[in-house]
Amino acid sequence: MTGNIAFLGYGLAAIGPGIGVGLIFAAYINGVARQPESRGMLQTIAFTGFALTEALAILGLVFAFIFR
Amino acid sequence: MSPTVLSSLSTHLLSGALPAADGGGGTSFVSPGVSDFFWPLIGGDSNWAFTRPSAVLLISVGILGWFFIAATRKLTVVPGKRQFLVEQVYGFVRNTIAKDVIGTKDFQRFLPLLFTLFTMVLVNNLFGIIPLVQFPTMSRIAFPIVLTLVVYVVYHVVGLKAKGGVIPYIKSMVPPGLPGWVIPLMFVLELATYFVIRPVTLALRLFGNMFAGHLLLLVFIVGGEYLLLHGGNIGLGAAGIASGLFSIVMTFFELLVEFLQAFVFTILAALYLADAVSEEH
Amino acid sequence: MVLASVVAATTPGWPDQLPLLPHPAELIVGVISFGILYWLYKTKVVPSLEKMYEERTAAIEGGISKAEEAQAQAQAALDQYNAQLQEARTEASTIREDAKAQGAAIVAELREKAQAEAGRITEAAQKTIEAERQAALVQLRGEVGRLSTDLASRIVGESLEDETRQKGIVERFLSELEAGEIKPERVDS
Repeated sequence: MTGNIAFLGYGLAAIGPGIGVGLIFAAYINGVARQPESRGMLQTIAFTGFALTEALAILGLVFAFIFR
Repeated sequence: MSPTVLSSLSTHLLSGALPAADGGGGTSFVSPGVSDFFWPLIGGDSNWAFTRPSAVLLISVGILGWFFIAATRKLTVVPGKRQFLVEQVYGFVRNTIAKDVIGTKDFQRFLPLLFTLFTMVLVNNLFGIIPLVQFPTMSRIAFPIVLTLVVYVVYHVVGLKAKGGVIPYIKSMVPPGLPGWVIPLMFVLELATYFVIRPVTLALRLFGNMFAGHLLLLVFIVGGEYLLLHGGNIGLGAAGIASGLFSIVMTFFELLVEFLQAFVFTILAALYLADAVSEEH
Repeated sequence: MVLASVVAATTPGWPDQLPLLPHPAELIVGVISFGILYWLYKTKVVPSLEKMYEERTAAIEGGISKAEEAQAQAQAALDQYNAQLQEARTEASTIREDAKAQGAAIVAELREKAQAEAGRITEAAQKTIEAERQAALVQLRGEVGRLSTDLASRIVGESLEDETRQKGIVERFLSELEAGEIKPERVDS
């Protein structure tokens, strides 16, 4: 079996951001369920946090391609 | 999978760049990879080749321009069928993305930009599963980079204008009310966020999702086809059929991802613009 | 693992190139496409859509004001109708009062007239009766005088033809009779 172990590394690197994104949207859904009128504000915050968290996974993807 | 894609893949199969596993049928299976995404129409393997994604992008611009201009030439207060569709898309960008994120004061001047981003990304993403095209344009990194560069330049220029100069703009990046020793740390972090992380992640998120999604479909379809035709025994053939069926499920999943990525790209662009025009922070 | 070199001389050509490197021609095409689409949207699509939104807002607001106007009109009409109804009611009651009064007046007048008529008739009748009684009295007096003289002359055999005596006797007798001094007597007693 041949391949590139860097992609295994990317798989491991994606775990953390995956959990993080899950937490962010769980909190967002909770917030909207409790106060539906605050949806607009929470959406902005949720997507800011989502962008920051996913940045880590994307960096992992980049490095997986670079180290090959 | 259109025949042209398959023929393109078969050339890669014949060239045999990466023999991954030996099948029972004699021909070796080459897993789909990076090389499947470069597809020149004119010019071959040069820097100035006119590639198929470029053609698809131009076609999408033609379709979008024709559709929206034709649909908005005669607008009525009570919408017809086509106007209703246009209004759904435009209202989504206008109210859900622009108005909610940027705020009622400034959002109108960014509407053309955001609407361009959303429709362009959405249509080009959807080309990933539309038959006969079946290639998400945005899985070529050049296009996300172009869109991101536009957003990057616009939000910096707007931010400089709104804050009135370079120094206040840099100052405004650090959130107020922090203890003194955190400020240098936050400053470096925010500087990196504004100038590196935001554009890089904005471009790479779109590219990565489209690239990975298309690769996923390729693996299921090409692998399934290989198992079915060259698997050698009935079990592998059944697995090939299952893989083909699962690729249909994944196609619908891709549809969701494609829409979501267009939405996320546009809302993040709006978010960065909102940051730039806002008074505080 | 080798860090893929970005230097063009060692790159393996575009098909196996690192997917994170943008293809220059695609960059150019991307910029051109974005520019075209942005220009189209900026000059045509978004302005007309925004104009339509404004028109719709105006139409909705106009509709609301029109509805308010209609409501006000309806209210005014209702008020007018109520006022008219009130007026009509007062008028009707006035007419009724008038009619009642008029009727009463007519009745009173008629009654008065009838009473006057009745009084007049009664009076006339009484007068006639009186006159007739007087005439009858006078006549009777004459008759009674003559008859009594006739009877007396027959009984007495004496002619009472003498004017003066006759007159005096009859007068005296009648006066006595009226005064009740003469009682009728049975002849055979």
